[in-house]
Amino acid sequence: MDLDFSPAERDFRAEVRDWLSTHAPGPLPSMDTPEGFAAHRAWEARLADARLSVVSWPEEHGGRGASLIEWLIFEEEYWAAGAPARVTQNGIFLLAPCLMRFGTPEQRARWLPRMARGDDVWAQAWSEPEAGSDLAALTSRAEPVPGGWRLYGHKTWSSRAAYASHGFGLFRTSGTRHKGLTYFMFHLDDVAVRPVAQLDGLPGFAELHFDGVFADESMVLGEVGEGWRIAMATTSSERGLTLRSPGRFLATADRLVTLARDAGDPALADRAARCWVEAEAYRLHTFGTARTIMAGAEVGTAASMGKVFWSELDLRMHALAMELLGERAGETPWLDGFLFSLAGPIYAGTNEIQRNIIAERVLGLPR
Amino acid sequence: MTMTFGFTDEQLALAATVRDVLRAHCPPAALRSERRPGWEQLAALGFFGLLLPPESDGLGLGLADLVPALEETGRACLPGPVVETAVAAPSLLAGAPKLASGAVCVSVLLPGQVYAPDADLADLIVVAGSDGLRLVTRESARLTPRPGVDPCRPLFDVAFEDSERLGGSAVPALRRATVATAAQLIGVARELLAVSVAYARVRRQFGAAIGSFQAVKHQLADVAVAVEFAAPLVYRAALAVDGDVATVERDVSAAKAAAGEAATFAARVALQVHGAIGYTEELDLRFWIARAWSLSAAYGTTAAHRECIRAAVLDGNVRRYP
Repeated sequence: MDLDFSPAERDFRAEVRDWLSTHAPGPLPSMDTPEGFAAHRAWEARLADARLSVVSWPEEHGGRGASLIEWLIFEEEYWAAGAPARVTQNGIFLLAPCLMRFGTPEQRARWLPRMARGDDVWAQAWSEPEAGSDLAALTSRAEPVPGGWRLYGHKTWSSRAAYASHGFGLFRTSGTRHKGLTYFMFHLDDVAVRPVAQLDGLPGFAELHFDGVFADESMVLGEVGEGWRIAMATTSSERGLTLRSPGRFLATADRLVTLARDAGDPALADRAARCWVEAEAYRLHTFGTARTIMAGAEVGTAASMGKVFWSELDLRMHALAMELLGERAGETPWLDGFLFSLAGPIYAGTNEIQRNIIAERVLGLPR
Repeated sequence: MTMTFGFTDEQLALAATVRDVLRAHCPPAALRSERRPGWEQLAALGFFGLLLPPESDGLGLGLADLVPALEETGRACLPGPVVETAVAAPSLLAGAPKLASGAVCVSVLLPGQVYAPDADLADLIVVAGSDGLRLVTRESARLTPRPGVDPCRPLFDVAFEDSERLGGSAVPALRRATVATAAQLIGVARELLAVSVAYARVRRQFGAAIGSFQAVKHQLADVAVAVEFAAPLVYRAALAVDGDVATVERDVSAAKAAAGEAATFAARVALQVHGAIGYTEELDLRFWIARAWSLSAAYGTTAAHRECIRAAVLDGNVRRYP
């Protein structure tokens, strides 16, 4: 066991830090406004031009074949530089791993490079009104027609769908519960999209109504009926490494400590220092996870441990910042961060569900 | 080479060997009847010479090499001054004869500590005083037992007239002992969790295993998360000590505070899950609960380490290792 970065890893960090120090934009308008969405897409294109938008992807799809450790280094530098949240994250972190693993060569070539530049922005469409954390209860369906499928049903809480160009989600092609689900990609142009304002008043969510939307054969990801297995691979990566890299929490923890230092309240400072160490713990744990994956093992259900930890840490950090700032919070980016952190224990499977998964599948307690 | 964060096969093999030995020679029943079960067998493995340099008949390993093995001593609730003899003594008494063989048992009273643990078993006691470190032999020490929380880790006041002055600083030994104790706390927490899970699977109430109730599941899941994220801080601290990196003091405190909190939390939940049977003397669980309490107070309380971290971080010391 060692914690020394290799010369190549140090060089990579220096390159990323250097590029971001001259290119990272100041705060952009919210990505959930038309002008903010456009600004975020323009930023993604600049990142892609520097081959920094998807560093861990293969070169042929716009990446640079970076190792997981290098990706973690990239993330640390990215968030430390105060660079914007990624408008492309649902595609890059949720859909892309499945395309790489289960997609055809044609699908990968068609979608990945465009995703890497922000030319296409993908919305995830997992949840339905009666199927949130109980995803297997979903009722949206796909019916076979010549040349493809027609999609019917109602998806909700779909992040980024108000402005995104494409979506991906599960539709029932046969069976009940998790049997007979198929993983579809679709164009949002053909879907009835009703933007839903979040706590901040901006349309971060949308409802999607499918009334016979056509998806040709090439929009099926993996085998028909195998959607659950593919989606589980996605959600494991969502709860685990890819959705919430430690870099984001390290940067938040550093800013929180600065805030606490200025406030001069020892009790609050103690809580800030504790959060700072917990962000470190998450980082160190993630190095261990990365090493496990690089050695060829699956993270699987252990990702649920990380999800509980990072989401509650993120909420704790932002709630403490709100306490430290009091009525001034609204003048700072902390308020947006606080609102976003409140969603952490809910999305990607609520933390109640994660604790059940830990208890049943990691610890072996009875259902 | 690329940065890795996992134990080597050798480090894990050492831990597996220690685990096997302690399963065979330090079963829970031995905690009731013996003062130092498993010690002879550990000594035969060369356990007490692992950190000593080759010129003292040791293997010259680093602290990080021992972390998984030290977790096993916590998991077994091994009694006796293990950390003091195997981890602190090599920093304080590297030249002393017969340390590597385990023939000499050592207790310590280092800066910040109140009492010397397991001093009744010690052939040698190292005491930090205002004029530096003193080496006290069993014959010249007058021990006064002090009430403690852990029947298998008794505490003593140490008085003496004759002593030998030791050169060197207490700091490296204290850092190492603190991290080693944190590693033991991780082992204690893992065992408390495992025992509680096993009990929750078989104990039935209202016609169902209590482990099927979400209120029980979620408590145990929270313990699993706490242990899962405390352990890497301990691994990192061991590497920081071995490498004497700039952040070592803060990293050691982070490890000890997190491991102490994880273990006392595991103890609290273990007691709740076991219910009234867990509150009895006849169940072995009490040994691990007491060990979580005693080790979380040893080598700096959680509050003291939290204060060190707060002071360091608020002072602007936010560099990270690595």
